[in-house]
Amino acid sequence: MRNLRLNSDSRRAARGDRAGALIRTGRILSRLGYLDEQFCQVEDLQDEASPNFAEEVATLFFKDSARLISNVEQALEKYPKDFNRWDAYMQQLKGSCSSIGASRMKSECMSFRDYCGQGNVEGCMRSFHKVKREHGALRQKLEAYFQLLRQAGPAGAATRPGM
Amino acid sequence: MLLGAAARMEEKGAITGRQRDQFPVGMRVLAVDDDPVCLKVLETLLRRCQYHVTTTNQAITALKLLRENRDMFDLVISDVHMPDMDGFKLLELVGLEMDLPVIMLSVNGETKSVMKGITHGACDYLLKPVRVEELRNIWQHVVRRKFSKRERSNLDIYKDFNKLPSTDPCHSHNQIIAGACDQSGRISKKRKEMHSDEEDDGEENDFQESDEPSAAKKPRVVWSIELHRKFVAAVNQLGIDKAVPKRILELMNVEKLTRENVASHLQKYRLYLKRLSAVASQQASIVAAFGGRDPSFLHMGAFEGLQSYQPFAPCAALSSFSPHGLLGRTSAATFGVPELAPAMTVQTATNNGIISHCAGDANKFQLSGLQENQQANLGQGSTTSLGLPQLQQKWIQQETNDLSAFFSGSALANTLSGALQRVTSSPLPPQELLESAQTKVSAQPPITMPSVSSELVERTVGVSANLQDSSISQQGALPINDGFTADKLQLHDPFDSTGGTRFSVNMLVCPSGSITASSNTKGGASSCSTVLLAPDTGRHPNYLQFGVAGNSRHDMNEIKQDHLHQGLSTGSFNHNFGACMTEQTNPNVPYLMPQMKPNTMASEDKLKQRNIYDLGIPKLHGGFSSSSCNFDGLLNSMIKAEKDDLSFTDNDLGCDFFPLGACI
Repeated sequence: MRNLRLNSDSRRAARGDRAGALIRTGRILSRLGYLDEQFCQVEDLQDEASPNFAEEVATLFFKDSARLISNVEQALEKYPKDFNRWDAYMQQLKGSCSSIGASRMKSECMSFRDYCGQGNVEGCMRSFHKVKREHGALRQKLEAYFQLLRQAGPAGAATRPGM
Repeated sequence: MLLGAAARMEEKGAITGRQRDQFPVGMRVLAVDDDPVCLKVLETLLRRCQYHVTTTNQAITALKLLRENRDMFDLVISDVHMPDMDGFKLLELVGLEMDLPVIMLSVNGETKSVMKGITHGACDYLLKPVRVEELRNIWQHVVRRKFSKRERSNLDIYKDFNKLPSTDPCHSHNQIIAGACDQSGRISKKRKEMHSDEEDDGEENDFQESDEPSAAKKPRVVWSIELHRKFVAAVNQLGIDKAVPKRILELMNVEKLTRENVASHLQKYRLYLKRLSAVASQQASIVAAFGGRDPSFLHMGAFEGLQSYQPFAPCAALSSFSPHGLLGRTSAATFGVPELAPAMTVQTATNNGIISHCAGDANKFQLSGLQENQQANLGQGSTTSLGLPQLQQKWIQQETNDLSAFFSGSALANTLSGALQRVTSSPLPPQELLESAQTKVSAQPPITMPSVSSELVERTVGVSANLQDSSISQQGALPINDGFTADKLQLHDPFDSTGGTRFSVNMLVCPSGSITASSNTKGGASSCSTVLLAPDTGRHPNYLQFGVAGNSRHDMNEIKQDHLHQGLSTGSFNHNFGACMTEQTNPNVPYLMPQMKPNTMASEDKLKQRNIYDLGIPKLHGGFSSSSCNFDGLLNSMIKAEKDDLSFTDNDLGCDFFPLGACI
């Protein structure tokens, strides 16, 4: 089914209109690795009953992940070298990422955890910065994406790209 | 959320009833995850599969929901890493108390995590992000469970031992099958998987539990105290290693008991013992909590090791829970007395289960204010209350001593039978206690023995008509409220202990005077015990003592009486206690105090008692609405029972208080 959709999406993506832009954006986000299949699944869950489900989830994600990130940050500060603690906090964030399909962010989380496992403080710090960066970047892009969706209106919703 | 959810569930009962016919459509799932994003997605995915979904982001809430009404759900899906309770712990509890299939969810797919899930009884382990395809098939776990249970139910035994609760206190078999309860006593047990893994006896794969709630209920064998005692005696005679169901059956010489029943029971018993020995090393012995924490008391053997939690045998009231048998995982604490163990186990398991069911039994018990809903957790409290006459104790009371921590949920109400708890050496009295029930206040502290790593021992003293869920850590201690708003008793604090077991003791004050004190102690996993203080007119000094003693101790490794006290005196306790107590106005409370002191309490205990007393008493005078409970009646019966039981005081337990309704 997805394949079929892609085919028709390709045609739609070629359009110059908003729906096309939407589709392209979605695809780009996915191709760039910001989002993975899980996000598709989340979008698939949208229906008449919850037409903005993906956006709701994304909003929830950004809110919750901001909190989790700050937990990690505090832990890094208050509990130096407490890798177990750091790891535990990061695991929570990773879980969130995987639920929404934030793949780049998730892989940064994983590398952070790897560094924790190695006891590498430097590596942890660096990787944490990357996590934050990815977080910011994803947020920007998703915001833009949803905005496009809104602008596209019902037509856009109908032609929601299959990422 | 709990109440709301419960209400919603009720409403939807009819609707889902229809849906259930088209199983798996409409299968009722409870999803637990602290991650809101994941929970939201999961919920939607489940709805997409046409299941009926309830969500909560707190394990405690989930437990409450489950305990309130076992029949509400068919399946539970839970995250592994949650702040308020370890997912594995929740898994165990659900398995033991409610016997529902639980699926674990985690980001972490490491082998050891998955292994842990399986050994704790998960029927499946999914990795996040969960895909809808995976969720489409989860209904198979429900079916599988029902299917295997069906094969094992034993109708005959059930009939034999299933006695309707009556006002006759002298039932020798306390199994009270609460008509009101939804569950006809499911036997909580470790999950089959776990059992299979751990049991070395091939025969023990049988389970006598009946089906899942949603399936047709079949009568279960109710392991009454008497029966369990016989069982333990037989096992001891044969030697725990050599005890095989067939021989045990022969020795027990009970009609209509089948080898399968014995096998299943044996399995649970073994697990219980294992747990006890595992836990023993960790926590403060529950015995202490029991009130019998005297070192002498503790001699109970394993108890030393136990430290951990003493499972209190759930009060008989658990009729509904009778199946629990529970090996109370938590109650693993080996109290030292092998027999106890079963009792203990029962408790823990039953605690939770019972409590909720006790609520069901509440009708019997009529404690004013017994709120079924409130009971939840640690159910025991309420059960006893009802039950006074019907003590349903399953394993309870320790075989040897009879005094197993017997917390009957109903005990809340009246059961001062808490005395049961004790693991006294004299088997007799407890038995009588149980039987005469009625007013036995069994404090049923759902002692959750912390698993080896950390368990909360919670004991809820069944006192007071209202059982409230105490926010006891993990276990969800059962706060018992007599008519009071549940909030009061809830102790939410306990949860902040990290990793350690939380000890929450709920002090519940029974309207009629029995007070269950539950104090939450953070940190130390000591058992939480709700001390049931019987406001009785001072006739039962023992009770008080017991109750007080029963408190679990936090962190205490040794069996000390102070547990209770400790708990009581700790800040957390205080505040809890305060909460609990406020409601009750018990003019008799003062009686409690003096009584508390006596028995073998160590000096420190005395101190503690005082503390407790201080804490409680004032409060007690507070708003006890005695009207709500027929406490007096219970007390009277308890007193009678007590008198017989007083002989216990001699035993090592140190605290004989069992007779007191003070449940540990």
